Amino acid sequence: MTTPVLKVEQLCKSFGGVHAISDLSFEVRDAEILGLIGPNGSGKSTTVNCLAGVLPVTSGAITLGGQRIETLPEYERVACGMTRTFQTASTFPEFTVRDQIMLGGNVTRTSHPISSVFGIGRHRGEDEVLARRVAHILDITGLAQIAGARVGTISSAQQRFLMIATALAADPKVILLDEPAAGLVSHERKTLTDLIKSIRDMGVSVLVIEHHMALIMEVSDRICVLNFGSKIAEGTPQDIRNDRAVIDAYLGEAA
Amino acid sequence: MTRNRTTLFYALALLGFILLPQLITVKYYLHLSVLALVWVIAAQGQNLIQGYTGYVSIVQAGFMGIGAYSTALMGLHFDMPVWLSIALAPVITAFFALLTGYPSLRVKGHYFAIVTLAFNMVIFIVLMNFHQLTQGEAGITGIPKPGSKDGLFNFRDRETYYYLVLVIATLMTGLAALIVRSRIGQTLVAIRQNEDLVGAIGIAAWKYKLFAFVTSAMFGGLAGAIYAHYQSFINPEIFGVAQSLDAILAVIIGGSGTIAGPVIGAFFVVLLPEYLRFADSFRLILYGLILVLATIFMPRGIVGVTGDLLARLGKRGK
Repeated sequence: MTTPVLKVEQLCKSFGGVHAISDLSFEVRDAEILGLIGPNGSGKSTTVNCLAGVLPVTSGAITLGGQRIETLPEYERVACGMTRTFQTASTFPEFTVRDQIMLGGNVTRTSHPISSVFGIGRHRGEDEVLARRVAHILDITGLAQIAGARVGTISSAQQRFLMIATALAADPKVILLDEPAAGLVSHERKTLTDLIKSIRDMGVSVLVIEHHMALIMEVSDRICVLNFGSKIAEGTPQDIRNDRAVIDAYLGEAA
Repeated sequence: MTRNRTTLFYALALLGFILLPQLITVKYYLHLSVLALVWVIAAQGQNLIQGYTGYVSIVQAGFMGIGAYSTALMGLHFDMPVWLSIALAPVITAFFALLTGYPSLRVKGHYFAIVTLAFNMVIFIVLMNFHQLTQGEAGITGIPKPGSKDGLFNFRDRETYYYLVLVIATLMTGLAALIVRSRIGQTLVAIRQNEDLVGAIGIAAWKYKLFAFVTSAMFGGLAGAIYAHYQSFINPEIFGVAQSLDAILAVIIGGSGTIAGPVIGAFFVVLLPEYLRFADSFRLILYGLILVLATIFMPRGIVGVTGDLLARLGKRGK
C-alpha cells in the first residue's frame, strides 16, 4: 500500500521575482490521505493549482500513476485520474444537483459526444452506468435528499459537498480538496471527516489542504507542512504535532 | 410547461406556419415571411453560441454573406447545380469559422466578441472591394432558383419557396433542439454558467465552444445561401455588422437559450422595422428605442415573459 499515486519532484513556481514554491517534493501514496498545511501564503493553493494544471509550473516534475503530467492541460489531467475542488464554492447554479454530478462523470465516457445528439451508439448504456454511480455518490455525500434541487438554491455547505461529489464522479485516483471545511459548522465538519475517510476507503487517494487543525489531524494518514514555499516537515500527525519547526512556524505552543 | 404541452405548442406553431400563406392576402407580407424564416435559421445558429454557450458573436450576417456569395459564385463559375452549391455553402462557411474561432475561443471572455466583430468588418470590406470575385458594391445578379420550371415544385413561385424555407427552418430548428438536449448542449450551458469548473471536471471547454461557433456559422451560411437563391441578387450591404446585431437582437428579444426564442425573435426583427415605416426618417430611432426598452424590461425575452405569465396564470387557476 505504499506505491505513490501522485509524485511531486522539485516543483518550483515563480511569479516574476517571487518564488511561491521552491524545490518542493512529496508524494501521495495509494489510498492514503495526505494533509498539506502551512501558514497563509506558504504556497498551498499554488501547489494545488500547479498540480491541477491551472497554473503552469516553472520547473519540476509531477507524475500521476506513472505518467508525467506537468505539461498537460487541466482537462487532460482529469482524464489521467486527478480531480479537485475549489476553496470557494464553484458550481453550475442552473443545473440540478444530480445533473451537475452526472456532468462531472462525463470524462469517464468513451462514446463520442456527437452520438448523444442523435441518440445512437453506446451513450445510452453509459448513461445507465453513470446514473448508478452517481446514485451511489449522492448517497455517500449525503446529497440524495436534494438530488433534484437546483444547485443555486442549496446551502453553501451543501455546495461544498456537491463539489466533492462532482469530483468523485470522474472516478479519480487522486482527489485534491482545497480547504473543504471552510465555512462548515461543527456537525458538518464531522460529516466531512467521515466522507474524506470513506473516499480513502474506496481506494481513492486524497490530498487535503485545510486550516482546521483538529480536522486535518484526525483525517490525515500523513501530513506535509509548507512554509514560504518549501517543505519544513513531513510525517504522521503525531510527528507533526511535536515538530519544533512546525510549532514555531505555524502551530504555536498551544497545539 | 410539461412535455406534452410543449409538443402541442410546437405542433400548433408549425400548423400556423403551414397555413400562413393561405391567410396572407398581401404578397409583400409573404415576402417578409420568407425573409423571417431565413432569419430563423440564422438566429437558431446565433443562439447556439450566444444563448447557450454565453459567447456573443458579432459575425452571423458575415457568415450569411460567405454562404450567399459562395453558393452564387460556385453556380456562376463552376456551373454547379443549385442544390449542391446550397449544400456546400455551410461547409465553406464552417471553414472560415474554424479559422476565426480556433485562436479566439482558446481565451475566455470578451476577446471573442471583438475578434468576431473585426472578422465581420473584414468580410464586408472584402465583399465590397474584391471586385474581380464579388463585383463589389454592385453585387451579383441572376442567381438561379433551385429546380426547373417544369419540375414537381416550381421554386420560382414565392409560395413554393416559402414552403421550401419552412421545411429547412423546421429541420434546422429540430437539429438545434437535438444539439441542446444532448451531452454537448448540456456542456455548452455548463460553459455559460462556469467555464472554470468545466475545465476542472475534465472537459476541454474550447473544443465545445469551437463546435458551437462552427455550427452556428453553418446555420448562418445555410441561411445566406437560401437567401441568395430567393432574392436572385446579393450585395455586401446586407451582410454588415448592423445585420449581425439584428441576429443578436433576435436571440435576446425572442428569448436567449430557448428553442422558440430565435423563431419569435427573427420575425420580430424582420417585421418591426416594417411596422415602423409610418415614422419615416424617425423609424430607426424608434426601432432602437424599442429594442433598448425590450432588453431592459424583458431580459429573458418574449419566451421568458410568456413563461412567467403562464406560470402565474397556472397558479391563479389552482
